[in-house]
Amino acid sequence: MSVKSDVDPGRIALLETMRNTEKTWDTLAPQYGVTNPDPPWKTSLVAMCDCLDVSGALPGLERRHAEDELADSVYRDVPAPERQLLALAHIMLGRGLISEDDLASRMRAVRSRLETA
Amino acid sequence: MSHTHNPGDGGAGERHAAPMVEEITDFEVLEIAVRELAIEHGLFTAEDHRRFTEWAESVGPAAGSRLVAKAWIDPAFKARVMEDAVKACKEIGIDWAEPTGFGTPSDYMNLRVLEDTPTLHHVIVCTLCSCYPRPLLGMSPEWYRTTNYRRRLVRWPREVLAEFGLVLPPEVEIRVEDSNQKCRFMVLPVRPEGTENWTEKRLAEIVTRDCMIGVALPRPGRTADVHPVQKAGRPVQR
Repeated sequence: MSVKSDVDPGRIALLETMRNTEKTWDTLAPQYGVTNPDPPWKTSLVAMCDCLDVSGALPGLERRHAEDELADSVYRDVPAPERQLLALAHIMLGRGLISEDDLASRMRAVRSRLETA
Repeated sequence: MSHTHNPGDGGAGERHAAPMVEEITDFEVLEIAVRELAIEHGLFTAEDHRRFTEWAESVGPAAGSRLVAKAWIDPAFKARVMEDAVKACKEIGIDWAEPTGFGTPSDYMNLRVLEDTPTLHHVIVCTLCSCYPRPLLGMSPEWYRTTNYRRRLVRWPREVLAEFGLVLPPEVEIRVEDSNQKCRFMVLPVRPEGTENWTEKRLAEIVTRDCMIGVALPRPGRTADVHPVQKAGRPVQR
């Protein structure tokens, strides 16, 4: 059963900007005729969770409990695996493993890089 | 959208690339950004991430299907599976110690295979989180991770199985096995009638992921899972 975690259920402005984009995989994939049930980044996300677990930076059980709470509250209306990704970012921001400013800045840089490729 | 590539073969043929989503989403960007920051902050290394990614892409339910099919036709192998499943997995090329040499924190090297009989049916769940025998079955389906499945299966197993389309007669006992941090489970279903003289490869084709979780039964002609799991708050009335 779900176990209470220490995650902060408060909304995070940066992540809130992403929830209404209607760009989740289950919406986009059919538009492009893609039948793969998972987006290309899903495996990398799974590996990231494993790495954080192995290193001890974010133990898997703590992450899963926090993820459960966020999935039932803040990101309830977001489909998987986007919900899992948002929850991971939310948890890492909440624990101070990364900062919101750094993340926003890096996201701009990553998008710029990808769009010029 | 699909592209047609003419790889300079003088028109002798053309290749059609698989369609792909041709836009960059915030989610794709977010995953990369979080990962890069985590690596820069020393939370893990790029090399570790590459290793786990390759491992995650290498595992899938086909390994579990092979194990079940082999157990069905080779009683000695089945006995070894029941005695030490992790050790028996090596016979089908699955090493639970991958990718670190001691498994992953989510894949403890302790597996128990649950053998069904005509009067006993097993189904697995992880009520605590989403523990799953990944080396044999790959990544868990999303419904397996939901609190909906985890909470309700232990309370109303017969009804929840019915929602998956698996209606078991009352005389069949249903045993729910709850995975935990120290042990993983997988179901060895009963070999269905009508599969006499089948090859191991052909048998493996009907052992789908859902059969090894226990929310479906193998049967001739069924080679893919459909999982119309409901989001009902109450079990169906039967």
